[in-house]
Amino acid sequence: MDEKQLARLAQDGSQAAFAELVAKYQSKVFSMAMSFIRNREAADDAAQEVFLKAYLALPKFHLKSEFGTWLYRIAVNHVKDVLRKRGRAREVSLEDVREIPVADENAMEKAEAERETEARKSLVQRLVQGLPEKYRDILTLRDIRGLPYEEIAQVLRLSPGTVDSRLHRARKMLKNRLAPYLGREGGSHEM
Amino acid sequence: MRCKKAEKWISLSLDGRLNGRSCGLLEEHLRGCPSCRKAEAGYRSLQALLRPGKEDSPLPRFWERLEPRLKEEQKLVPLVLWERWALHAIPAFVALVALAAGLLFLTPQTPEMSQSESLLIENANPFSETRGLFEEKRPEARSMMLIFASLDDKPAARRQLP
Repeated sequence: MDEKQLARLAQDGSQAAFAELVAKYQSKVFSMAMSFIRNREAADDAAQEVFLKAYLALPKFHLKSEFGTWLYRIAVNHVKDVLRKRGRAREVSLEDVREIPVADENAMEKAEAERETEARKSLVQRLVQGLPEKYRDILTLRDIRGLPYEEIAQVLRLSPGTVDSRLHRARKMLKNRLAPYLGREGGSHEM
Repeated sequence: MRCKKAEKWISLSLDGRLNGRSCGLLEEHLRGCPSCRKAEAGYRSLQALLRPGKEDSPLPRFWERLEPRLKEEQKLVPLVLWERWALHAIPAFVALVALAAGLLFLTPQTPEMSQSESLLIENANPFSETRGLFEEKRPEARSMMLIFASLDDKPAARRQLP
């Protein structure tokens, strides 16, 4: 049974159909929440809230768009609300970055490289959280979650041209913000 | 090609959104521009760092935790709908009452005219009907005319005082 049929059945009150949709999308919604919130419990709670909101809003879903796109829109809006309430959308301070563990010079080379990559990933993700909301959202959807352009345009209600230009600005801003930290570590710009 | 444009195209090429001719132009520029080559490598590394290794799974028993909440919410739906309806209906009702009251009090009321006033407006003599009564010499006939006139007359509307 395809998604639209399941959505139609769920609209008619079938909890089994909704359960199937939840099973299909729970990891995607959770991962998206996790990309923004970066805390497993909070992301899980947000994912539950997203499905609750979707369930209550089912009568308003007109089956014109894909169920997944509609659900992502609810998810992104809910996660943004959560972040606003938690006041997490702040600039990343230098202190935050200094807390990241650096590679142990005495450890084995492979483990060192892995730790360094993890540290850099963590740094990059923290910097993403510190970007202005519109840039953070588009970068998270495209470069972290890997959503296609068309879906991003629908989820954020933007034109494809705006997606292009905003994504470019977001990447450039992130690269510029990352540059001083990489310089401090003594690494090259090529990361 | 200017480096600013090249940087924008690098971003597009990361997503495979650059057409063949533009790809060629960008490659040509990158061959001769070390700073843009460095930028391109930086963007690619950044994208690799952003992409998560695998999809995360939520905490265990996701549906089992969600299902009772859905049932709970479903019970509240009529109440929520009523609240939403009431929130819209109460102001609408108040507005309707205010409109009706406004129409009632603000529209100018035309007082009913007496028979004499109606005759005057029609440019007719208000005493024409009573003239015959006054001109009648015989008291019996005058009494009879008065009786019949009172039977025919509708109750005269009183003019409203200002």
